[in-house]
Amino acid sequence: MAMRQTPLTCSGHTRPVVDLAFSGITPFGYFLISACKDGKPMLRQGDTGDWIGTFLGHKGAVWGATLNTDATKAATAAADFTAKVWDAVSGAEVLTLAHKHIVKSVHFTKDSNCLLTGGNDKVLRIYDLNQPDEAPQEIPGHTASIKRALWCHDDQHILSASEDRTVRLWDRNTSEAVKTLSFDTSVSSMEYLADGDVVLITYGKTIAFYNAHSLELIKTIDTPANIHSASLHPEKDFIVAGGDDFKLYKYDYGTSEELESYKGHFGPVHCVRFSPDGELYASGSEDGTLRLWQTAVGKTYGLWKCVLPEDLVCENPEPLYPVPAEIKA
Amino acid sequence: MKTPVSVLRLPRGPDPNSRGFDPNSPRFVALCATSISASSKPGADPASLQTEQRARSMMRERFLRCLISMANKKIQFHMYEKVKVDATFGASDIDVLNFQVSDLQTPIGVQTEALIRCQDVISYSFDM
Repeated sequence: MAMRQTPLTCSGHTRPVVDLAFSGITPFGYFLISACKDGKPMLRQGDTGDWIGTFLGHKGAVWGATLNTDATKAATAAADFTAKVWDAVSGAEVLTLAHKHIVKSVHFTKDSNCLLTGGNDKVLRIYDLNQPDEAPQEIPGHTASIKRALWCHDDQHILSASEDRTVRLWDRNTSEAVKTLSFDTSVSSMEYLADGDVVLITYGKTIAFYNAHSLELIKTIDTPANIHSASLHPEKDFIVAGGDDFKLYKYDYGTSEELESYKGHFGPVHCVRFSPDGELYASGSEDGTLRLWQTAVGKTYGLWKCVLPEDLVCENPEPLYPVPAEIKA
Repeated sequence: MKTPVSVLRLPRGPDPNSRGFDPNSPRFVALCATSISASSKPGADPASLQTEQRARSMMRERFLRCLISMANKKIQFHMYEKVKVDATFGASDIDVLNFQVSDLQTPIGVQTEALIRCQDVISYSFDM
């Protein structure tokens, strides 16, 4: 019997949620960080959405947030012209990195020793977190604000997406652009999957996949709405995407077929990410909430409980939790 | 009509009174380095640990007593951008991120109630 998806709503933010990131899988589970225009990024337990803590210190909207693989460090990028590094266990602020303009994107290398930042001053910066007083390595080149900057190819290359309508692949050692992709319109999001060496780029109503070394197009998927963010399942079975029409879309990666669409958010969806184990995906919206969605609807996982039809029909029928049409935390 | 998936409970929301990061959680206990610098040095002897902890407790207590004695007194705050303002101290929040003050004297008028962001304050002084 097919079941209807019950998204779990995580409230707490008071303004639009513009970015989110999962950590890797740690001995304590995996974690989720959300960037919000209220300036207070939050850390949550990844599989339940339970709030763990709020990173307090930024004086402006937080545009980007990330966690290192073992969720011991967090980094945030904000409109107060700083990027901050945090201890993700105690919530303490560890480092403030001053920039000359709004910072939009932050990303740790795999060993957590370096932080890549990018923002409205159009320059990519690499900070050595063990020598915070040293000037960062700067990589200029983009001619408009940088929206997203990611490490790839074992942290030897950098992928950056900018309002100048290009996505560029840089060699970190030579600071040179190795490859450039040009678009007719702004790129809304970019994701990198090391396994398979794929870059996912969204623009307009298109989700596109490229080889991360050659930047050659693999395939594109057309959607019904302007997409703000998309994520590819770790096993490359599915893509989830969200955008202007408030819905979440799920596509089969192999066939490009639209499998499902889910209503739930009350505003445009700004970011969507699969969890590291692929069992759920999280979406952040203009409505100020995060929602967790099951990949396999009906499976017992996290807070979702599979109730078999036989269990529903018994002498004392009592659902495990009375489920109203719309659930809000 | 499809049956909606059942849920054990809703995700827990933020605690309005604190910024979280529960020090009693298993992850915190396992991963958080102690903030006593003496204990993170190799070969730390218990005596120096004790001295350092005693000094820290004494300083913390002094700071808290200072906050108590400031209540309802007129304080002069020296802040960034050469800002010097007077106000009557009300209270501090638990993480010392904000000070609640009354009658904040600003160049553009008196603010009856205000919150001063502690990270903007360089120093403050008052008569005991």
